[in-house]
Amino acid sequence: MLTYDPNLPVAASAERATKVYGVGPTAVRALDEATLAIPVGRLTAVMGPSGSGKSTLLQCMAGLDTLTDGSVRIGGDDLSQLSDNELTVLRRDRIGFVFQAYNLVPTLTAEANIVLPHTLAGRKADPEWFDQVVTTVGLADRLTHRPAELSGGQQQRVAVARALITRPELVFADEPTGNLDSHAGAEILGFLRQAVDGFDQTVVMVTHDPVAAAYADSVIFLADGRPVDQIDQPTAQAVLDRMKAFGDAGHALEANGAPS
Amino acid sequence: MIRISLISSWVRRRRLVSTTIAVLLGVAFLSGTMVLGDTLSANFDKLFAEVSAGTDVVVRSSDALEIDRGPDDARAMLDESVVDKVAGVDGVASAEGQVVGYGALVDKDGDPVGGNGPPRLAGSWITDPDLNPYKLVEGRAPRGDDEVVVNRGAAKLAKVDVGDTATVQTPEPVKVKVVGIATFGDADGLGQTTWTAFTLKSAQEHVSHRAGEVSTVLVRADDGVSSEALRSRIATQLPDGVEAITGSQLAGERSDEVASTFLNMLRTFLVVFAGIALVVATLSIANTFSITVAQRTRELALLRAVGASRRQLRRAVAIEALGVGVVASAVGVVGGIGVAGVLKGVFDAFGFSLPAGGLSLEPGSLAIAFVVGVVATFLAARSAARRAANLAPMAALRDSAAEVPRIGARRRFAGFGLGAAGVAATVVGAVSNTVVLAAVGALALVAATLLLAPMGMAPFAGGVGGLLQRLRGVNGMLAEENARRNPRRSASTATALVVGVAVVALFTVFASSMKSALADQVGDDFAADLAVTTPAFGGGRLSPELTGQVRDLDEVADAVGLGGGPAKVAGDTTEVVATEPAKLPTIGHIDPIEGSFADLGDDGIAVAESKAEDHGWSIGSKVDVTYVDGQTETATVRAIYGKNSLLGGTVVPAAAWEAHNTQPTNTTVLVDVADGVSVEQAKDAIDPLADRNSGTVQDADEMASTAGQGLDLLLGIVYVLLALAVIIALLGIRNTLSLAVHERQRELGLLRAVGQTRRQVRSVLRLESVIVAVFGTVVGLALGAYLGWVLFATVWTDGGGFTLPVARLAVIAVMGAVAGVLAARKPAKRAARTPVLEAIAAQ
Repeated sequence: MLTYDPNLPVAASAERATKVYGVGPTAVRALDEATLAIPVGRLTAVMGPSGSGKSTLLQCMAGLDTLTDGSVRIGGDDLSQLSDNELTVLRRDRIGFVFQAYNLVPTLTAEANIVLPHTLAGRKADPEWFDQVVTTVGLADRLTHRPAELSGGQQQRVAVARALITRPELVFADEPTGNLDSHAGAEILGFLRQAVDGFDQTVVMVTHDPVAAAYADSVIFLADGRPVDQIDQPTAQAVLDRMKAFGDAGHALEANGAPS
Repeated sequence: MIRISLISSWVRRRRLVSTTIAVLLGVAFLSGTMVLGDTLSANFDKLFAEVSAGTDVVVRSSDALEIDRGPDDARAMLDESVVDKVAGVDGVASAEGQVVGYGALVDKDGDPVGGNGPPRLAGSWITDPDLNPYKLVEGRAPRGDDEVVVNRGAAKLAKVDVGDTATVQTPEPVKVKVVGIATFGDADGLGQTTWTAFTLKSAQEHVSHRAGEVSTVLVRADDGVSSEALRSRIATQLPDGVEAITGSQLAGERSDEVASTFLNMLRTFLVVFAGIALVVATLSIANTFSITVAQRTRELALLRAVGASRRQLRRAVAIEALGVGVVASAVGVVGGIGVAGVLKGVFDAFGFSLPAGGLSLEPGSLAIAFVVGVVATFLAARSAARRAANLAPMAALRDSAAEVPRIGARRRFAGFGLGAAGVAATVVGAVSNTVVLAAVGALALVAATLLLAPMGMAPFAGGVGGLLQRLRGVNGMLAEENARRNPRRSASTATALVVGVAVVALFTVFASSMKSALADQVGDDFAADLAVTTPAFGGGRLSPELTGQVRDLDEVADAVGLGGGPAKVAGDTTEVVATEPAKLPTIGHIDPIEGSFADLGDDGIAVAESKAEDHGWSIGSKVDVTYVDGQTETATVRAIYGKNSLLGGTVVPAAAWEAHNTQPTNTTVLVDVADGVSVEQAKDAIDPLADRNSGTVQDADEMASTAGQGLDLLLGIVYVLLALAVIIALLGIRNTLSLAVHERQRELGLLRAVGQTRRQVRSVLRLESVIVAVFGTVVGLALGAYLGWVLFATVWTDGGGFTLPVARLAVIAVMGAVAGVLAARKPAKRAARTPVLEAIAAQ
């Protein structure tokens, strides 16, 4: 049972989303009839123990993978109804990605990586917006460098810039600070926060780090392939306690603490 | 997107080096063979044009035999009166009759110089220097009987100078005095043709044996009179059966003849090999591209995730391929010019004399080679492009190895279908001697093998693996696992080797069977005690006088000569054998099936059984025989004999032949050794006589073994050309292994971290390469041996004779395995040097 403000418009939603890998006795139910909604203009974190399905959820919602059953919508469009080409265009123009690692095309400069979605679409980026994004992430003096010449933190900043360059409906971030030290990680989280506060973007972030989750407006907890809890205006401590509860009980808990 | 992919390729240009080299080599070979073909064609044309440069009109007999024979082959002679008639025509500045025929200058060791393709000519010296393409550079023109002028090339080979005496075989040896040395224009001769010129009278005596007759009349026009105009004027004055052509028409005829016989065969031969090299290169390229796509999986999948469409990715790979194709083909075309030079050298080394001259670069041929290279690269990369396009965006996020593609049902179906069709077609083609059917079947089988190879890879690796494990322990097991892990990849690595080995095996089996079949045939047909022969390839002739000289020896009971040449029998132009038929049963132990050889007399003929059946002849039937001089005789069939390679299809009495031919010669003299004399003794006695005629004395066994010598020569050249294809195949293996090492970097790093020594790493890779190489070799051998049988059975209509040269094939198998080891050396070293930590942490 999830609480969210029904007055907030929904950027993306999942309705009984199910994803099964494999067949027969070795089948794995990564998502099990998960239903949830991502509100517009907010930073939403998705957390859970390993095997909870959080990365799978993200990938299916972003059009990177397909569901076995149920549906997933981006701004009202049911992704299962879209052809491969339509999905591709969706990813290019309406969604931004930040992955944990290997975000960038190693043979292109930072600048080329940032405007990659536009290049693929055969158009030029809006120069003002480009400048604003680059300034925000602080990469103005690094635009001509290749990924190999950038630090991990700088690479992630390039990834964030790329995710924002098309002013997408949604930004999906999969463990964006996983490979970074705390300082660089804090920077990245700050940029994501700024994207939401300053540019009215919607960001969905999968993370396992309570500190990162504390940057979010709300945290959705997943366990065994479906949402089981939500914390709004989370603090790192609250998130940490909730995660510990998963470990102690060994299975999902309801928000009110009663075992399911 | 295009920019992205081109930038990407440029940055990673090192990985494209090996692909580029493969294309380059294939295109270079193709372009080289085409340039060589063009060069030879142009050189021959130039040569023939030069011969006829000073001649406006040529008068000669019309060809009585009406077949595609060369303009220089024997025709009826002209009466000398024609010369005067032509000289009297308005517009003729000078006209001279010439005698041309066979004549071999003999060197100090008694061997005739020249041969091996270009003719050995003797005849009369043309006194009008404007008509004579040969120019005196030393001495003078011949004046007395037995005085000759020799071309400089022949003089050098025979080591004769002005003032020396020498011998010319026409074909009986004639003692001559060299009074002059001539050049052909500036060259030592007309290509490698040897030319010995007597006075007209001497030539008529020694060469054509016809007083008062000439072979042709050469005519020079007055200034201002065109060749064509003069030709038509002369033609009206000529008697029936005599024609006039212009000098350039004659040059054209010669060019056509060389083109249709020698040149076309050579060009086809070369282009086929170039094609093989290109196919091998293409397979190699396809493999490389496939691997580089696999290497770039994450990068490409990232592009898909960020929004590149399938089509954009497909196009990106295709453009990269085109880029490589264009650059490599361009360089390859240029490199091919160098290859042409090398090929020419190879041919010269093997004794084929080709006309000298610069390389002729036809833009058309170069363009074709270029386009073929680009298209081949493009096609080769297609499947890689498709695979790139089908990458799931998920692959950008996942770390695990790509799923091994299963060998699809469609591919299996296609493979088995083609295989069955191929086997059926080849068997039917072989049995019915239909070349086209057999060839189509062969292609189908090759395609089927390539499609199905991956299926055999896994069980093969498993089988060999068991053996390797016993021999090499854990290294063997690891090698087997690696080879088995991605059977499609391993099999396609081996593919190039399969093709190379198959072609080598094909020719080995074919040549070996042909040799043994020929030897058997000779063995069956040759039943005399001894024979005097001339080398198969030299085009030498034996004088008819030799037969008599041999017969006169005490050690010899009797001897008979076999000669002959072309004639028209019952409307078909064919080769007839001229001999003394009555002696065939006693000396050659050849007996007719019907009738009797003794009955032939002067107006009889003997025919082979198959020919008699075809025409419905029996003893007593009348057959028209038209000889080269245009005259027709009606002969009566008096004997019918079973198949015999010495006799061919038709036998005519020597007397009949000599009546219609100017220089009757023999190719063989059969000898019956006298009672009480050993074959050795007889041989010793005949040897000096044979030497004077540049022949060899052989018994049955020796005859059988020399029958196949020409094939050894052919095989030698084939092996040299195939070496290139095999090298490309091996480069392909090394290439694939290198890329695979790069791909498996993390795994290698892990193994090293956990305790595998550098030596073990090298060993595993070597073994893996051996497995792949042996697989390729075995499949190639099987395919090649089968196709070798098909080729032999299709071409050899007499049935039987197939032999499998097991020893040679075993050598090829071992070489394949060794090649595999060698191909793995560099990749193995690089793998062993993988820095452990970096590899594990590698992205």
